[in-house]
Amino acid sequence: MSARTESILPSRSAMSELRLVVRQVGYEQLSFWLNPVGAIFTVGFSLLFLLLLGASAGSSRISYLHNIKLVQYYVPGFIAYGVMSASFNSLAITLVIRRETGLLKRLRLSPLPTWTLLTSILLSTLLIAFSQVVLMLAVGRWAFGVHLPSDASGIGALVVVLVVGGLSFAALGIAMSTFIPNQQAAGPVTSTVFFVLLFLSGLWFPLKSGSALAKISTFFPIRHFITAVFKTFSHPGSSAWSGHDLLIVVIWGVVGAVVALRRFQWAPHQT
Amino acid sequence: MPAVSVHGLVRSYGQLRAVDGVSFEVDAGEVFALLGPNGAGKTTTIEILEGFRERDAGEVRVLGIDPGDRRSGRRLRSQLGVVLQELAVEPFLSVRQVLARNAGYYPAPRPVGEVIELIGLAEKADAKVKTLSGGQQRRLDVGLGIVGNPALLFLDEPTTGLDPAGRRTSWELVRRLAGEGTTVILTTHYMEEAEALADQVAIIASGKIVAHGPPASLGGRDQGAATIRFQLPAGVTPANLPVAVVGEGPSIELRTDRELEALYELTRWALEREVQLTGLTVSRHTLEDVYLQLTGADPDRFQTDSAAGAPVRE
Repeated sequence: MSARTESILPSRSAMSELRLVVRQVGYEQLSFWLNPVGAIFTVGFSLLFLLLLGASAGSSRISYLHNIKLVQYYVPGFIAYGVMSASFNSLAITLVIRRETGLLKRLRLSPLPTWTLLTSILLSTLLIAFSQVVLMLAVGRWAFGVHLPSDASGIGALVVVLVVGGLSFAALGIAMSTFIPNQQAAGPVTSTVFFVLLFLSGLWFPLKSGSALAKISTFFPIRHFITAVFKTFSHPGSSAWSGHDLLIVVIWGVVGAVVALRRFQWAPHQT
Repeated sequence: MPAVSVHGLVRSYGQLRAVDGVSFEVDAGEVFALLGPNGAGKTTTIEILEGFRERDAGEVRVLGIDPGDRRSGRRLRSQLGVVLQELAVEPFLSVRQVLARNAGYYPAPRPVGEVIELIGLAEKADAKVKTLSGGQQRRLDVGLGIVGNPALLFLDEPTTGLDPAGRRTSWELVRRLAGEGTTVILTTHYMEEAEALADQVAIIASGKIVAHGPPASLGGRDQGAATIRFQLPAGVTPANLPVAVVGEGPSIELRTDRELEALYELTRWALEREVQLTGLTVSRHTLEDVYLQLTGADPDRFQTDSAAGAPVRE
């Protein structure tokens, strides 16, 4: 590379760090997909959920929500679920396992910069989440005939909502991992917290406004995230954007990030 | 300039001084063994040298860099190799993939193929990590420690869990690396390992270095009384022997600081009577004797507090 081409690039080290991120994401993905049983069940779980509930919903409609088809609620709902399960549930469990087996400590002792590692883990998590989104969009469109976001505003809103939500729930997942003492506890603790919150947030049925559950759910981020995804499907034009819901998701994400940064540990808790 | 210099290193966990004024130097190309009971401060000391843990007081330089200075952390870590006690490798990647990935973290790595040869995993190069035996995973761990071509290699109990053949192979590798000029700092519970590999040994107990020197003369074990042991020949009573001994037979022991004269008397006596002194040995304190004496006879009196990695006394 000549000196002149170098000067127009950001900087040699920034480029090489970017290459490290791309490379690390590649190995993260390799590590994930080389365990096909784990990969298929991780990606397929939300899809299976959607297929079962979508099939059982048939042509039911929701009388208290503009009389839309139930499945028109389920597709965005389970897309939100898939993103949350990858970025909150799976990430928290993976991080506990990596911490307790010493993988994080080893990486910390290598020259790989910390931000490179964390960025790679987040990007890899989003990639896995979005592979589920793509599958569910296809199933929603072709199997259930659901209206997908089609105009630029709707598609843009969907992408932004999913990326922002994915990152926020990932921050919460990292924070969650710091409260889990060992590998054996990781699955049960994370799943319990996740499913209780999901129940309170009306994933399986839209909450009636004014109900007790609806009031509780407004405090937590999951309901707002589901609503934000839902609106990109059902509201044309600029009303596809639900700034209020997204803001609450982001606030939770920031809280998660602060807790994660304060409590993050590289070394195993058990020796 | 020494590869590592430590002066007055202190690190406390709450009330407990886990590392309490430790000082030592390791020259470039030297193999340095840190011995001590669990919780004596070995791991804390090494983690401070690696830049993984912060110190409370003391001067530390590793390859000329202060490991407590975060700004130079990456420059330091690109010259370090670390082999941890935990088997820490992604199970679904192959040996070659794991080594290639980690090689990419370093500015001037060793060729991956060469590392695979060095750790003796050529036949397993494309096998998934989870299919390796415990000993093979341990060797892969060592491979990850050396793939960055480090100037300084930390080995935390590198041969724990290896069979004798695996241990010999690892020793050969350490000797080879040291021969190439790599400085090695190792912790071990095996005295024969320290004796076989180390140029310098330090014994640490309750956060303090209680002995430091070449393994052959540690704790003055090359000085003082020697012990002569042999089996009493048939038809001989201890009273017939030309020297005063302990024991009624068949095992006979005698302690003396004039072992040359004692041996001369014994062997002349045996040759004249044409009897054998089966199992004749002369020894001074073993490294283990010195270790047990300096760390307290019962090494189990220390326990590790798993949460903080801090040692606590029962």
